[in-house]
Amino acid sequence: MSRAGALPPFLRAALRSPGGKCYRHCDRPVREFHLSSGLPGVWTVRACPGGVVSVTSYAEWTRRDPTRDVRRALERCTFPKRLVRAWDLRLATREGPELGRTAERRLAKTRPHRGLRVVYWRVYPFKARDGTERRLLVCRRRAHANPVFFAADPAARRWGCPVCARRAR
Amino acid sequence: MPAARRPRRLTIVLAQWCPHCVPLSVKHGRRLARELRVPLRILDIDRGRQEAAADRIVRDHGDASPDYLIPQVFLEWTDGDVQHLLTGFSEQVPRTDRAWRDLFASDWFRSARRELRA
Repeated sequence: MSRAGALPPFLRAALRSPGGKCYRHCDRPVREFHLSSGLPGVWTVRACPGGVVSVTSYAEWTRRDPTRDVRRALERCTFPKRLVRAWDLRLATREGPELGRTAERRLAKTRPHRGLRVVYWRVYPFKARDGTERRLLVCRRRAHANPVFFAADPAARRWGCPVCARRAR
Repeated sequence: MPAARRPRRLTIVLAQWCPHCVPLSVKHGRRLARELRVPLRILDIDRGRQEAAADRIVRDHGDASPDYLIPQVFLEWTDGDVQHLLTGFSEQVPRTDRAWRDLFASDWFRSARRELRA
C-alpha cells in the first residue's frame, strides 16, 4: 500500500509536461529533475542547463492544502531561506477532467474523492541592491543531499553555490 | 419535481499579459461557453471592479494564494453551485492548452452536455 498523498503512476503520467524552454533567460530546453523531502508527493524542478530555475512544483494526491509544508521543505534547501516567500507559492487543484480520460476515470472511482493539489514555486527575476539582476539558480552537485537553491546574476562571470562554492560553467 | 439543474455562466479569471490566458483560454472558453449554451464572463485581474469579483470567486471556489494562478475557470449552475474547472499549468503554455483539450474530451464535458439535452 502506498503512503497517503503519494502519486500513483497514472497520476504522474497525467501531470507530465515534457519540453519547454528556459523562462525568460536563455531559451534553451529545460530539464526536469526531482528532489526528495519528507513529503509524500512528487517534486519537479524545471531548470535550464545553466542552472536557472523556471519553476519548481510539488504535487500531492490529497484534499488538504500542502503549501505550508512545501514552504518549509523549500526553506531547508534554499540559501538564504528568505528567498522562499509566500507570494511566490501558488496553489492549483487538478480535478480530473483536465488530466485526460484515464486519470479522470480512475480519480472518479476513488472514494472518498480526492483531487490533486499542486504547489508551484516560481521566483521572478529581481534586482539586487546594486541594481544587477538576480535569478533563482540550482546547484545539483552530487555532494549535496538535495539540490541547493540560491539567487545569483547568471550573466556574471563568477557565481558560486553558497554550499559547495561551485562556479558557473 | 424540481427542475434539473443547468449550466448558467462560465467565468474565466485572467490577465491580458498572461500567455496562458490570452488568446489561449479566451479561445477555448468561448468554445466551452458556446457548447454549454451559457454566456462567458471574463474577469480581468488588472481592472478594478473585475479584480474584486475575480478575487471573490477564486477565494470562495478556486485556488486561492496570495498571488493566485491564472487563468482559473469556473462554471456556475442554476442551483447556485460554482464548479472550479481548470487552473493554468505553470510549467508551460502548451500544457495549459493540453488541459483545455482534455477537458473537451472528458466524461465531465459529455455529461454536462447530456444534462443540457435532458
